[in-house]
Amino acid sequence: MLRPIHRWVWGDADRRIRKLLAFAEVESNGGRDILRAAEVTPDPLLRRLYLAHAIDELHHGDLFRERGAALLRTRSMRLHGLFNGSPLPGGHGLDDLQIDGEPDHRLLAFLHVAEKAAAGRFTIYRQLVDDDPQTRAIFEEILRDEVFHMNYTYTQLSRVSPQSYRREVWRARASRLWKRYLRVAVAIANLLGAIVLTIIYFVLLPPFAWFARRAERRESLGWHPIARDRRESGASQY
Amino acid sequence: MKILGISAHYHDSAAALVVDGAPACAVQEERLSRHKNDAGFPIGAIEWCLDQAGLAPADLDAVVFYERSMLKFDRILTCALRAFPRSWRSFPQAMKNSLGDKVWVRGIISSYLGVPRRKILCTDHHAAHAAASFLAAPTRRAAILTADGVGEWATLTVGHGERRPDGTTNLTLLREIRYPHSLGLLYSTFTAYLGFKVNEDEYKVMGLAAYGRPTMVDRVRTLVRGTPDGAFALAPEFFEYQTTAARSYSSRFIDLFGAPRHPHEPIDLETDEGRRFADCAASVQQVLEDRLVDIARALHQESGLSDLCLGGGVALNCLANARILAESGFARVFVPPAPGDAGCALGAALYADRVYFHNPDRDVPDHPFWGPPVDARELARAAREDGQAVEELDDATLIERAADELAAGRIVGWMDGACEFGPRALGHRSILAAPHAREMRDRLNRDVKYREEFRPFAPVVPIDVADRYFDLPPGGPRLARFMSGVFPVRPEWRDRLAAITHVDGSARAQVLEREMAPRLYALLEAFGRRGGIPILLNTSFNTAGEPIVCRALEGYSTFRRCGLDALVAAPVFVTKRGSSRMKPLKEEAA
Repeated sequence: MLRPIHRWVWGDADRRIRKLLAFAEVESNGGRDILRAAEVTPDPLLRRLYLAHAIDELHHGDLFRERGAALLRTRSMRLHGLFNGSPLPGGHGLDDLQIDGEPDHRLLAFLHVAEKAAAGRFTIYRQLVDDDPQTRAIFEEILRDEVFHMNYTYTQLSRVSPQSYRREVWRARASRLWKRYLRVAVAIANLLGAIVLTIIYFVLLPPFAWFARRAERRESLGWHPIARDRRESGASQY
Repeated sequence: MKILGISAHYHDSAAALVVDGAPACAVQEERLSRHKNDAGFPIGAIEWCLDQAGLAPADLDAVVFYERSMLKFDRILTCALRAFPRSWRSFPQAMKNSLGDKVWVRGIISSYLGVPRRKILCTDHHAAHAAASFLAAPTRRAAILTADGVGEWATLTVGHGERRPDGTTNLTLLREIRYPHSLGLLYSTFTAYLGFKVNEDEYKVMGLAAYGRPTMVDRVRTLVRGTPDGAFALAPEFFEYQTTAARSYSSRFIDLFGAPRHPHEPIDLETDEGRRFADCAASVQQVLEDRLVDIARALHQESGLSDLCLGGGVALNCLANARILAESGFARVFVPPAPGDAGCALGAALYADRVYFHNPDRDVPDHPFWGPPVDARELARAAREDGQAVEELDDATLIERAADELAAGRIVGWMDGACEFGPRALGHRSILAAPHAREMRDRLNRDVKYREEFRPFAPVVPIDVADRYFDLPPGGPRLARFMSGVFPVRPEWRDRLAAITHVDGSARAQVLEREMAPRLYALLEAFGRRGGIPILLNTSFNTAGEPIVCRALEGYSTFRRCGLDALVAAPVFVTKRGSSRMKPLKEEAA
């Protein structure tokens, strides 16, 4: 469904660079999360697997970062705010992974669903960068790792939770959807808040701004004495 | 009295517990949450501190926040008004940030901990910095200088403190320089301009400065000019941090210094562009030092005191600290192990104890080890489960064994006791290596720390012999106690200490007393018996972008995935076996 948007993103060199650099952050952060899982799990086999997984993710981050930087050097552009984030789903970008306190079966189910989704998207991206063999090679390498990640998470999930592993996967899918909804809801709330505050800014603030600037003109530069009463009062937030 | 200090909501959240006038424990939230520079409410750190002391929140006599949040909000709102209408983009975000949680900090603390609001106090941000520096230093009377980006309104303060024989304490900050005139923000602006992360990578600018020449000092001086009363003021037309959160420097700044560096472009010091960035770093470094030295010199003349306590994030600038010691006239300069915002948690608690509650003065133990301890059994279990070579050795054997490994050119992860409070690894969560060859520096940057090749490494040296290898001025060993000063390596040793000698012939040495870290001290002696030089390269036990490891398993996971050869948490000694196990593991598991 999002294929036309993906094509629009990957079809432009500048957007491609931004996307690669955003992926680098997402993969590195995901790698650190999984590393944390390796540190807190009581299961020795899972610790080794999480560690291998985390190393892969951190490596993917490096691959994306290096490729993004290499493409950047071929262009004279300077990247600024607008697309520094990730405008599209990618990697673990839409999931707020909580590691500490999460039982292994939940985490494995989450990772399995996330890796499967990521593999699906990377397959599309690989097709969309046919004109760029080096970027394509990165996606191919990552896809090979994703297959391992998908498989081991599922195998281990069925090991640690043999009675309910299918239910855990569905639960993880539902949780992912819920988190996406929350992200969208928060984004909309943020937007509405920004609109209201911007209106307040232009409607209510001008007279106060005039007073503030007038006061600023009277303010001297350099040292200002510190009032004694301020440092002796712990109760005041002023 | 039991007083909990908290710093939060900006960067580097932390909690510290002071019991009967002395620190009981302190930890940065990042060490527990594993998110570098974690700015969130430090609930993990608070819980750990309370658990460690065996206290419940109800047992606390006071909880002290490290700044006055409404005064800070006053500054944010006033600056938005002053910049009207240019501040229209940043205004909504600033209000959401402040009104979302920051101004309700008393309620947040009360709801998290269940303590009544009357027990929740605040200090001035810079008073917390000053207390962290002065009340924890082994001095009775000292001048105080604090400098950071910004607290509430203050960006730099001066004052003095006295711990009187009758047990009372006087800590007086006399005057301040106010936002937007800030040496910390000047430096941070250059940090952003040079493509590094603000509030995190300022030390990279300091490292880069050594590769450049201060050819742009005049241009930097146009940004920051002196005022008749001996303070300074920034020229606002070159900065945008007071109007927008998106960029801290203006177009006029770019006109003056050229195009900024993109964060993903490597710095190639062989190119003109790379040298320009290095020159830029050298220039802002020199101007920062000059300003601080001038202010410190004036403070020395005014106070007539021989000791200076430095606090605030700017006190992490070791080059400036060394120049202050050398040129300001103070005989001793004290910088705490956590001079930045994290240290304010401890400073706020100490300030409340001595100033608000007038409790009698107590000496604070002169070490940085207030964090969670390492559990060697946990390391041994995990390493054995993974088939690594694990030995449990008595202390003497372990030290000889570690010295053998280091002398053979291997890199050792070293975990010992409680972790450090503050950004420096001072011997309890360190990566250690032989200091002799430049190749070791390159190997560490490339295979262990995964960071830029221009970054230097610090040495640790026993105090008895430090002067033989480093040109330490009077007061130098004190400043170097927590790795807070940069000093020249004596020329005759530079070739044999190439891994820790920066390109300008200097090193950020840690001068170690046996009492502070006896096991590391013994290791230095053992290493010295092998190669003749009792110095080790000492860098923080982490990889790029991660907090310093805290617990054994975090050290172990770092050990497993980077180029460390051995890992020590006494009495456990782990030697790495090949990573070839990874492949069969993948095949087997998939």
